[in-house]
Amino acid sequence: MSAQAVHLPDRARTGIPILDERLQGGFPRPSTLLFFSEKPTEKRLFAEHFAIEGAKGGETCLYVDFYRAPQLARREFTRFGSFPQDRITFVDATSSQLLVPSSEAYHIDDVSDLLEILAVIERAIDERRPSRVIIDSMEFLADRFSKDDVFQGWRRLIDAARRAGSVICLLFINWTYRDRELNTIRAMSDFILEFQSSMRGGIIRNTMRVSQLEAGGIKTNWIPYTFRDFAGVTVYFPRILVTGPFNAGKSTVVQTLSEKAVSIDRMGTTVAFDYGNVNVMGIEAEVFGTPGQERFEFIFKIFAREVNGVLLVVDATRPQDFERARHMLALVGPKLPYVVLANKTDLPGALPSEEIARQMGLAEGTPIVRTVATRGEGVREALLVLAEMIIGVR
Amino acid sequence: MQEKLPQNYSVLLTGPPGVGKFEYVIAQAREALRQGERVVFVTLDLRPDEIRTRTKALRLDLSAYEGKSFVFVDCYSATAAERLEPIPGKKTILVSSFSNLEGIGMAMSKAAQELGTPVRIFFYTISTLFLHNSTQAIAKFFQIVTSRAKTNMGYILYAVQDGVHEGMTMNLLRSLVDGVIEMRFTDAMEREVRIHHMRGMHVDPSWSPFRQMPGEGGLE
Repeated sequence: MSAQAVHLPDRARTGIPILDERLQGGFPRPSTLLFFSEKPTEKRLFAEHFAIEGAKGGETCLYVDFYRAPQLARREFTRFGSFPQDRITFVDATSSQLLVPSSEAYHIDDVSDLLEILAVIERAIDERRPSRVIIDSMEFLADRFSKDDVFQGWRRLIDAARRAGSVICLLFINWTYRDRELNTIRAMSDFILEFQSSMRGGIIRNTMRVSQLEAGGIKTNWIPYTFRDFAGVTVYFPRILVTGPFNAGKSTVVQTLSEKAVSIDRMGTTVAFDYGNVNVMGIEAEVFGTPGQERFEFIFKIFAREVNGVLLVVDATRPQDFERARHMLALVGPKLPYVVLANKTDLPGALPSEEIARQMGLAEGTPIVRTVATRGEGVREALLVLAEMIIGVR
Repeated sequence: MQEKLPQNYSVLLTGPPGVGKFEYVIAQAREALRQGERVVFVTLDLRPDEIRTRTKALRLDLSAYEGKSFVFVDCYSATAAERLEPIPGKKTILVSSFSNLEGIGMAMSKAAQELGTPVRIFFYTISTLFLHNSTQAIAKFFQIVTSRAKTNMGYILYAVQDGVHEGMTMNLLRSLVDGVIEMRFTDAMEREVRIHHMRGMHVDPSWSPFRQMPGEGGLE
């Protein structure tokens, strides 16, 4: 059987469309990615996602695991759905710590020997020439060997990956290093992926951001993400607010966006809120629509906390409501990213966008998306524009 | 001495091996569960199954609570190269290695999320971490986890072996918590316990004999 020709694009996709788009298809090959955090996070999930995303796309990956035996890792990987398992090769640095024999082709027998660690990983990279390399994790080395030796090893791993044309991801939580050492590590990287996990209301909230070290490179805002079985890591906005004056079409916007939508209404007018769960282009969002009438303003106070962004719906035929729209925006907080949906643009008398911007006194560059919510026109586009603003890739 | 446990609070329980720290921890857990609170047990030294058996002897039947208001964070089994098949109805959160401090920290958050906050977390024992990680790394881990547990999860108690760590290390751990409970053997090998201090509370720091809680059996 002839070897299958696998086309390797020169970019390593993350499988997160909004990020890949910004990265012009993915991370360049070769490149060095530092997965960094100061506190415990779920960055390993993202690393696993990145490895498996490669495998799903026909690439090969080398996973160096200091914390987990490969058989356990393989079992945990099944959460991501099916993928060709043989595309991921392990460097087993765990079995020897558990004093059990390794059944992997590449294994480190003495984790107290930095030179052996490096030699085994280098050999694996040289022989397999993987498209992606994950080192999980560098703090294992940082906690055991002298800084100079660790930095030298760090450099050797990056060089090996570069020779093989791989994207190398070095996971690192900083337990012991000071700023100077961190700067050394940063300077060896092409991209830094910073991670944060916090707990709010008993729920773990994960965020990450990507910065390219090259001058003028990419720098995103904090991107909220979550993990979904079989799908892997997805961008996740826990709270998008849809607001606007009475009868502008907010509920219709929520319903059009959502796979499932719930409205608490009375004779067609929302009296509590609309809620919908949205999945568009690898982005998941919980969308909350507020009532438009003034007597329900107290609801804003409940929802205005921890809002990721706002879709401000206005009726393009009713300039007399624009003042009210501005007021509602002010209620949720002026600093939030927002997009104006000029709705009902199919009706006679709908104002052009420039006119709406002028009459509303919108800041220069505020996006206005023309929509016909009843037909679903423009609504998803508006959400995507908002998503790009929130994560800072627009 | 078993009063209502404080919320948003961290405690260090120190004592030499064999003095009864496990029994003390289980007594607190039992009381919390009985009052309808939720409990996370982080085990580094014992298999969950062994804990289930031993707690039964201490009149705490975990099967009544597991999966509902009690969950294990199991840092032991993977490290002992045990079989890791999940047991139906007994959800445990697995950490693959003692060295993976980040994994332990997130597993605790996961467990709290699973049960719903607030929770009471029992960490048995912090001493084991020192076999696998540098003191510096553990200190930062300890400080972060304690503050996370206090602010977002509720209450955390760490058990630590006395007499196996350097004085500096013990002092560091003691300085990072709100309260310290000490246990010791007397010359006659009687067991004693005292509350050394509890921030914000008036406590009597005198030693008193450590007996099993009322109605307790199965201890020799």
